[in-house]
Amino acid sequence: MARESFDKEIQFLRMLVLTSGAYDRQQYARRLGISVHTFDKTIRRLKEVLGTVYRQLPGEESREFADMLRYRYYESADPLLLFLYRAKSLKESESRRLALLLSSLQETPQTALELLDTCCSELPDDTPLPDEKTIRSDLKYLEEVGVIRREPGPRPYRYRLQDGLLTDLSFDELCDLYDYVDIMANTQVPSVQGYLLRDSLKRALRIKADGMETADRRPLQDRDSLLTEPFCYKYHYPSRILDEAHLHTLLHAIEHRRRIQFLYFSPKSGAHYGSRNTNPLFERETSGTLESAQPLRVVYDHQYGRWYLLAAHPKMGIRTYRVEGMTQIVEGEEVSEDVHLERQQALQMKLGRSWLLDTSRPVKVRARFYRPAGGQPDWIRERVELQGQWGCITEEDETSFVYEIEVSGTTEIKPWLRSFGSSCEVLEPRRLRQELIDEWKEIEGYYEAQDSESL
Amino acid sequence: MKRRIPNPFEKIFSYSIMSRLDESASFTSTSHERAWLKRMLEHPAASGAFTAETLGKLRGLLTAEDDLSFSGGFVEKAGAAGRPLYHPLLRPLRRMILAGSGMRLTIRTRSGLEFTRQPGFPYKLEYSMARREWYLLWYHRDEQTLLTTKLDTVLGVYAEPVSETETAAALGRIKDILDARREQALIEVLPAYRRELSRILYAFSCFDKEVIYEEAQEVYRIRLTYLSDEAEYVLSKLRFLGKRVRVVEGPRLQQRMLESARLALGRYGQG
Repeated sequence: MARESFDKEIQFLRMLVLTSGAYDRQQYARRLGISVHTFDKTIRRLKEVLGTVYRQLPGEESREFADMLRYRYYESADPLLLFLYRAKSLKESESRRLALLLSSLQETPQTALELLDTCCSELPDDTPLPDEKTIRSDLKYLEEVGVIRREPGPRPYRYRLQDGLLTDLSFDELCDLYDYVDIMANTQVPSVQGYLLRDSLKRALRIKADGMETADRRPLQDRDSLLTEPFCYKYHYPSRILDEAHLHTLLHAIEHRRRIQFLYFSPKSGAHYGSRNTNPLFERETSGTLESAQPLRVVYDHQYGRWYLLAAHPKMGIRTYRVEGMTQIVEGEEVSEDVHLERQQALQMKLGRSWLLDTSRPVKVRARFYRPAGGQPDWIRERVELQGQWGCITEEDETSFVYEIEVSGTTEIKPWLRSFGSSCEVLEPRRLRQELIDEWKEIEGYYEAQDSESL
Repeated sequence: MKRRIPNPFEKIFSYSIMSRLDESASFTSTSHERAWLKRMLEHPAASGAFTAETLGKLRGLLTAEDDLSFSGGFVEKAGAAGRPLYHPLLRPLRRMILAGSGMRLTIRTRSGLEFTRQPGFPYKLEYSMARREWYLLWYHRDEQTLLTTKLDTVLGVYAEPVSETETAAALGRIKDILDARREQALIEVLPAYRRELSRILYAFSCFDKEVIYEEAQEVYRIRLTYLSDEAEYVLSKLRFLGKRVRVVEGPRLQQRMLESARLALGRYGQG
């Protein structure tokens, strides 16, 4: 399956999830830089996949589709967006053959020729029969991705399924493993591999439980949710799963000191994708820019759940790209080790004092935080300690404390300070103090007008 | 064997293979998934999540796997400081949830009051990404209400059998309670900040939301649905975004935002 199609589907899903149902077909298509026809085709395809993966009946409208993708907090902790990674179309014959190979290897280790026999006898009559070469190349692929392994011993080699994780554990152990994978995938980055593993563990857990709990008369749905949905995670960002799509490609380029080329759509521009249409009827100007840069570091921002790439640009020094806007990434030539290390270290120095990514001149920020009144537990201090990064508390009394941090630029720390509302007063620098005063005045204005209207 | 670049787009993850494997009850795991797990088992949380025996067994199963190394290639920013990720009560409570069992719970509240042997039914274990803390959502069988209790304040818990009918009734009642607690607010993105739309939508992506777009005025509004006890969190997000957004429906949030602004200006001697 072409990477092009994934680039499109990621942008497509991200937009559906973020704007859930805001646009009609034409508006979506325009923003995605695709034709309405392609939009409809993609929706149909994704619905079909979603229906297979989650066994739900696909609806008719894109609106319904967006609803299906909606966040359903207490109903399910299943990361619905994960199905993007499942949305690969294979030829019917290939998917039948691979599945058959895997399920027969589950029973017993076999040689390529034995597997060929199995395929010939078990594939339905209407499926074209594979030849030995095809089976060998399937086995090579499955071995490369680590799903099967070759058993030690002389030729002809026997292959075995690598499913120890899912079969060698007792129900209790499997349950602990499922929980751990669930918790780690939901709280740590990167997480896509974990979510994929969680899917398989979930199936294994269900099958083991079915074998055991025959006496359990609770409705199937209740049993299933008690089995597989014991946890929920408050306020994490599901869209990070989509942005993570490029992570391993970028990390690979960094590790091998390779430059990359890609088509970039700044999220500020409003366009998200440009299809490379071969049909001149649909040809259009792409609004993305072709970029070439040397990736140095990927940053995950917990405040918004976004991934960024920091890269050395030949003309513009260090540039920051949002991973969500990157499409069609291709690896280019290698950069010498000295240059790479030097740039990486220089960047690290600059980033040392960044709240996020800002590398402006360091400023000392001092703010007074006020403790909650009325003998309430001091959750303000707790939050400052938890989220205040390398800043520290320098003085305190019964009602308040002063927090101090040296940070590169004030733009990135400002939203955090503001989120405390009247429990935070910026003391220094004066400019930041004045900015906050102005902003609070503006915000007061938003609601004063409403207040007097409602009176 | 030469390993490929870790790539979540491998065809082995294809839904068509997955659904066929499902029918034959076979499982697969790729070296990428196992490498991820191997790395995760290095996290300090692992020792709390498994018995020593299971952990040893898992590590044994993964010895031959590649190490997933990011060689300093990525860094996390603006996260919360580390607190232990696993809580010792997670495993026993999870087992009670699995068994559909009832429980008796002893809790000490923040103010120091102690409630002993409360009859309950565990519903879910919830992790707050913002506070890095575990909570137990549970149904109080006598008071017939849904409570959220920080696991750190639980002094003791033991299982107590309840009938299947009672379990089913509790699950039904919990659903009703959650539905009744739902609140909505309508938030408008100020037109001057439309260039930051993507950022703003990302910030709200952790909520149940629907976006409304009025093409004529090019106005974006976000209808948020949240539980009433989450209002404080919604407020801190709104203050985080500052003048970029305005609550246009939702009197309680509007009132609180006005209050925040007035009190904040008071702090600056501008009240």
